Amino acid sequence: MPELLRGRAPDRTQSTGAGPGRLLVAVYAVLALAATGRSVMQLVTAFDVAPVAYLLSALAALIYIVATIALARGDATSRRIAWLAITTELVGVLVVGLASYLVPQAFPDKTVWSHFGSGYGFVPLVLPVLGLWWLARSAGGRG
Amino acid sequence: MIAFISTFIVIASLVLGVVGVVWAARDRLIDDGVLALSAALLLALIAQAGVALARSEPISDGGERATFLAYACTLPLVPVGAAFLAIKEKSRFGMVVVAVGAFAVLVMTARMGQIWGMYA
Repeated sequence: MPELLRGRAPDRTQSTGAGPGRLLVAVYAVLALAATGRSVMQLVTAFDVAPVAYLLSALAALIYIVATIALARGDATSRRIAWLAITTELVGVLVVGLASYLVPQAFPDKTVWSHFGSGYGFVPLVLPVLGLWWLARSAGGRG
Repeated sequence: MIAFISTFIVIASLVLGVVGVVWAARDRLIDDGVLALSAALLLALIAQAGVALARSEPISDGGERATFLAYACTLPLVPVGAAFLAIKEKSRFGMVVVAVGAFAVLVMTARMGQIWGMYA
């Protein structure tokens, strides 16, 4: 039997939300949860303190939610949405991270992405890189 | 904050994290023991959320208070979500998810303790 199986072309397509992807979904979900809860509370209770920072945190939270759902679903449309969301996330963390060092007065309070996500152990910086890598890798034999 | 609850959460999440790593290394799936530990952690997190909501007045900084309350209210969802994903995942990565969830609970609880320590 193994000889027969050996001749079979391997199916290299992999769902983005299964196997190692499940771990990525879990990390995105935790970040989405933490960022959403924090930004909602900040917007409701302390919006005047740092409106730009808190709105950016809310945007980041929204992107994390979209990325989590798209990665968990894993179909062709979700895969495209995940590419878009995670690319936006990477650009966001790089731009906001750089801006928070160059124009610190614009960020009186931290956002998820300020200082390249240092408040979250740089997970916001590493995660989109891993996400894009996983999307590319799991595409496998999709041609 | 009640020190007993926070201490229990830290210990339970540490144990759950170690179990998650060991189970993943041995290629084992989630079992009743892991579910029971996750449930105990969930109950403690719900209790912590109740205490945090009732006693957050001393935290005068709006941003910090928002973080404190948000973490308190969202933390109970972490072990539930991790257990759900671990049940769905029929490979070692299910238990890695449990370990990551436990680590997230540990870090977020530590952050809550840090905020509480600054103002209480």
